Amino acid sequence: MNDIAINIDSVSKAFGTRLVLKNINLAVAARQSVLLCGVNGAGKSTLLNIIAGLLQPDRGSVSLSGCNINKYAQRAKSQLGVILHKPMVYPELTVIENLSFFADLYGVKKSSDRINELLEEAGIWAYRNDRAGILSHGLLQRLAIARALVHSPKILLADEPFTGLDTGACEHLISILTNFADNSGTVFMTSHDTHIGLRCCKRVLVLDKASLIFDADAGDVDAAAFSRDFVAYAGGAE
Amino acid sequence: MRYFWLSFKAVFIKDIVTELRARQVLPTMIVLGVLIVWILRMASETASAGAVIIGPVSLWIAILFSGLLAQERSFATEQQQDCICGLLLAPVDEGTIYLSKLLVNVVMLCIFEVIIVPIVVVAFHLDITAHRPALIGVLLLGNIGLSSVGTLFSAIVELTRTRGALLSILVLVILMPMMIPVTFALLAIFNGIDDELAGTGALAFVGSFKAAVGYMVAFDAIFVVVCWLLFPFVVKE
Repeated sequence: MNDIAINIDSVSKAFGTRLVLKNINLAVAARQSVLLCGVNGAGKSTLLNIIAGLLQPDRGSVSLSGCNINKYAQRAKSQLGVILHKPMVYPELTVIENLSFFADLYGVKKSSDRINELLEEAGIWAYRNDRAGILSHGLLQRLAIARALVHSPKILLADEPFTGLDTGACEHLISILTNFADNSGTVFMTSHDTHIGLRCCKRVLVLDKASLIFDADAGDVDAAAFSRDFVAYAGGAE
Repeated sequence: MRYFWLSFKAVFIKDIVTELRARQVLPTMIVLGVLIVWILRMASETASAGAVIIGPVSLWIAILFSGLLAQERSFATEQQQDCICGLLLAPVDEGTIYLSKLLVNVVMLCIFEVIIVPIVVVAFHLDITAHRPALIGVLLLGNIGLSSVGTLFSAIVELTRTRGALLSILVLVILMPMMIPVTFALLAIFNGIDDELAGTGALAFVGSFKAAVGYMVAFDAIFVVVCWLLFPFVVKE
């Protein structure tokens, strides 16, 4: 059993002449929850997309539980749940139909039981027969989370999952992420809101100028001071 | 194999349900198709060419342009809310996505033809009673050829955000070898030309109805296989 959930080995990525990631090395242990911070344009989303297999690195490789994402894409992808900026759900389909569709894509057996469980957990049971197109941003985000978890992944990648959510929705999302991590899941997320991010992560990383410049246990970090310093640093950098 | 069918069926049903609810493609196809047939029907009243020539040609033009219009929307639904990323994140072979989309486009064209063929038959007073199986076969082969290229280029246009008229131009150029045998076969079915044609010119090059069908089968096979192989390169990044 491989105990490293995400292994990033010497990954570099450039868009044209702009180097976005430079020789990134990172190992995330199984059942660990990691917060990746960085200013706008630091390369957080690019790194997350490379881990998810949506982008190819120019150099280096990414393995998920020992499985190279490019060589064994299907095996690696089956253990991955991803939340991106947009919810990746079909507006014309109902909430249940969207979840059933993705459950079928992942070959989930007895998907209706799993879907009902997720509808309850994400707090969207009452909206199960509504079309996704009429849901509010907060409800869409809950649906996106349910979609990402429909196949019971081992690893959850989340790109700015708290953006645009009100306090109640943020608390609900924190409880879902914490619950996922408590049930042996690995969380790798990016967030501008370091204060909220630190509440559900055990390790914090800072990406800046294409490199990882900070890596620490969240327990060793004073959340208030870190958030204050990060905001000041981000303000200066931008 | 079970997994292939499960994901193939899921994408196919999702696309059909989405279209039936959104009603974005079929009504537009029908309006454009009827418009083309109507204009050519009016032109045929003054043209020296008979209805047996303009009728089948107008049918193919209506199918071609309405089909292109429909196929341009193939990946538009996947662009909303970044759904294409959701598809690519799933452990589904990209080729399966292509084949599902291809089948959806073929089905859409078949539904369109169920409506447009009777309109053409009535408008041009054509007789199809004797050649119904041949007509169904030729239209099906035409649908597959058109959809195979259209589906791939829809992905290129939508996913690379190269919008505009690029799809129509590229598809029409690539489909050129396919258009000649389809035109020949449709004209032969409606008695617009003889089953065997000698002489010079593109239609004479095809030669006979049997050869036209042979060309269509060959082009369909080549287009489907080549587009299926190219599709993963199109959707990556």
